[in-house]
Amino acid sequence: MLKPEQMSRLLIVATRDQMGPVVAELYYHNLFHIEDYVEAKAEGYEGFKIGTPLAGASEVSNALVKIRAIQNAIAVHADDLEPVTKCPRTELKLKIERELPILEKEVEELTIRRSKLDTRVKELEQKIAEIKPFVNIPVDLDLYRGYSGFSVFAGYVAREVTLTVPYEMYFSKGKEKNFVVVVAPANQRSEVERALQESAYQAVPIPEESGMPQPRIDYYSGQISSITGEIAEINRDLIVVREKHAGFLVACEEFLMTEVEQTEAPLRFATTKETFVAEGWVPTHQFDTVSNALVNATGGKIFVTVLPTDLEHDIVPVEYDNPSFARPAQMLMDVYSRPKYTELDPTLVLSIVFPIFFGLILGDVGYGLMLLVMCFGLRAFLKGEETAQLLAVLRNASISSIIFGLLYSEFLGFALPWKPIMFSRHLKIGGGEAGGHGPAIPELMMMAIWIGILHITLGRIFGMINHSRQDHGDHRIKAVMANFGWLAVMWGILIVIWTIAAMPLMPDLTTLPKVAMGINIAAIVGGVMLVVGVLLIARDSALEIVELPTIISHVLSYARIVAVGLSSVAIAMVVNFIAIGMLITPQLENITIIGVLFIIMGVAVFLIGHALNMALGILGGGLHSIRLHYVEFFTKFYKGGGKKYNPFGMKRRFTED
Amino acid sequence: MTLEMVQASQAGMKALGAGLAVGLTGIGAGVAEMAIGSAAVGATAENKDVFGLVLLLTVIPETIVIFGLVVGLLLLF
Repeated sequence: MLKPEQMSRLLIVATRDQMGPVVAELYYHNLFHIEDYVEAKAEGYEGFKIGTPLAGASEVSNALVKIRAIQNAIAVHADDLEPVTKCPRTELKLKIERELPILEKEVEELTIRRSKLDTRVKELEQKIAEIKPFVNIPVDLDLYRGYSGFSVFAGYVAREVTLTVPYEMYFSKGKEKNFVVVVAPANQRSEVERALQESAYQAVPIPEESGMPQPRIDYYSGQISSITGEIAEINRDLIVVREKHAGFLVACEEFLMTEVEQTEAPLRFATTKETFVAEGWVPTHQFDTVSNALVNATGGKIFVTVLPTDLEHDIVPVEYDNPSFARPAQMLMDVYSRPKYTELDPTLVLSIVFPIFFGLILGDVGYGLMLLVMCFGLRAFLKGEETAQLLAVLRNASISSIIFGLLYSEFLGFALPWKPIMFSRHLKIGGGEAGGHGPAIPELMMMAIWIGILHITLGRIFGMINHSRQDHGDHRIKAVMANFGWLAVMWGILIVIWTIAAMPLMPDLTTLPKVAMGINIAAIVGGVMLVVGVLLIARDSALEIVELPTIISHVLSYARIVAVGLSSVAIAMVVNFIAIGMLITPQLENITIIGVLFIIMGVAVFLIGHALNMALGILGGGLHSIRLHYVEFFTKFYKGGGKKYNPFGMKRRFTED
Repeated sequence: MTLEMVQASQAGMKALGAGLAVGLTGIGAGVAEMAIGSAAVGATAENKDVFGLVLLLTVIPETIVIFGLVVGLLLLF
C-alpha cells in the first residue's frame, strides 16, 4: 500500500548447456524481469559476449511470419477471440508441421487469385474510362484510326471551334466542358491545331477499340460484374477458412510467439564459451519460488543469488502493489506516469478520492444509475484489460454519484422526496419548481475550498515523505522543510483570512481579543507562519518564491467541483423546464392533435437533453476530477517516470502444456 | 427614480458583472490554452510519456477562468 512491490536483484549463473531449461523455467513462471546485458558498459563483465539464440530460432520465426501472413489475409486477431478450448502444446507442434503448409497454400492461392482479379477489374475500369468521352459520338471506334491522308483530333474544348480548312467535326456539349472530334486533311494539321488551341483544347487519347462506344462499355461493365462476383466468392471462401481455422491460427501464433521469445532470450544474457549470466528482477516474496524452480529444473547445476540493490543507481522496475479495489485506478496512474521505485505510490488515494470528486460533481441518482447500467452493458462488448479497468473506475464513480445524488436529493434535475441532506444544489429554474431555498452556494464553495486545502495538505505531507526518502545530505532537510514551508504559508494565509472575515463552515477568529493596532492574536500567528514558510521555501530554492500565488490558485481551483456540478444541474433543470413545463404540461390540460405533437416534441427534448447532459457530466466529472489529481495534487510530491515491470513470460490464453 | 428601481438596477449590474467576469476570463483562458493545447497534442503524438507534463502546461491558463468564476460567485452571493 502506497508503495510499489518490493523487488530483488537476481543473478543467475549456469553452464551453457543449462540455458534451455533455465529459459523455459523462467518463461513458465513469468516473474523474472530481465536486465538486458549491454556489451559497452560491461563493468565486471570483461570477456563476456551477448549470447546467441537457442537452436531452432530461425525455424520458429519463419513459421511465425507465415502464420501472421495468413492471419492478415483472413483478418484474424487474437484480441478479438475468446479462448474456447486450450490446445496442448505437443499436439499443436504436430499440427503445425502437418496442417500449416496445407493451410498456407490454400490461403495463398486464394489471395493470389483475388489480387489478380483485382488488377483485372482495375484494367477494365481504365478501359471504360477511356471510352466514356466518345459515348455521345455516333461513330464506330474503328473509324478513328488507320488514315494516311487525314488526321483525327479528339479532346475537350472550352468553346465551339471554327475551322478554315475542309473538315468533318462531331461536337458534343457537356456540362463543364465540350467534347470534340475533328477529322481534317493531314497536310493542314498545323492550322487545325492552332485553331483548336484557341478554344483551349485538351487532347484525349483515342482508345484501341472497335465497335460502337456504348456497347463496348456495356461489355466491359458486364465483365467487371462477373469478376466482382468471383472476388466475392473468394472472400466467402476465405471467411469459411477463417471460421474453420481461426482458433488453430491464434493458438499457433501464441505457441510460436512463446517459442520465439524463449529461443531469443539468450540475446539478453551475458555469455562466455561455457557459461552464461543473467541478471534481472523478481518480486522479493517470489524469490524462493523462482530459485527453487531453477534449481529443480537444472538438477542443482546452477548458481542463483540476490545482489544488493543500489537505490541511487539501479533502475528498479516498478510493479503496483495495491488492494484489489484500488487496482483499476492504476490505469489512471499509468496515463500520467508510473511511480518511481523509491516514490510513494498514490494509487490508493487516487482510487478513493477520484470517485468522491466525481460523485460531488455529477451527484445525481438518475445519471448515476444510467452510467452504472452503461458500464455493465459495455463490459459485455468491450474487451481488453485497460478497457476493463476504465469501466471499473467508471463503475465506482457512478456508484459514488448515486450516493451523492441521494445526499443532494437529485434525480435527473428533479428533487427527490426529501430535503437535501448535504447542501442544496437546487437552482430556481422554471419558477422554483424544485422548491426549497435555492442553492447554498456559499456553503458549497467553502466545502470545495476545504476539500482543496485538505487534498493539498495531504500532497505536501507526501512530498515531505518523498524528499526524506529520495534526497541525501544537506538537501534532504532543506527539501523537507521547504514542503513544510509551503504548508505553513497556506495555513498562515488561511488563519489571517479567518481573522478578517467570518465565513460559513470556517472558524470565526474575528472576535478574538485585539493585541495591537487592531490585529488579534490569531492574525499574528498566521503572519508568523506565512513569513517562516516563505523563508523555508527560499532556503531550498529562492526561485520558488515566484510560485507563491499558486497556493491561492490551486486551492481556488477546487471550486470547479461546485461550478461544474452546478452547471450540470442547471442544464438538467432547464431541459426539464422546457420539456415538461413549457411543452407537455400546458397541452395535457386540453388535448388536441397539435397538442399531441407538442407532447412528442417534449419527450424528445427530454430524452436528447438528458442524454447530452449525461455525456457532458461524464466528461466534465471525469476530466475535472482527474485533473485535480494530476495538476493540483501530484505537483506537490509526485514525479513518476518509473520503469514498468515487464516479466519474461506470457499469459497464455489459447495454449497449455 | 424610486428606491426599488435603483435596487433592481444594482442587482442587474451585479449579474452583468458576474457574467462578464466568467465570460471574458473564459475567452482569455481559451485563447491562452489554444496554442499550448495544439503543441501539447503534437508532443504527445511524438512521445506518449510527456502526457502528464503537457497536461500540466495546458491547464495553467485555466487559473484565469477560475478567478473569474470566484469573482462572479462573490458578486452574486
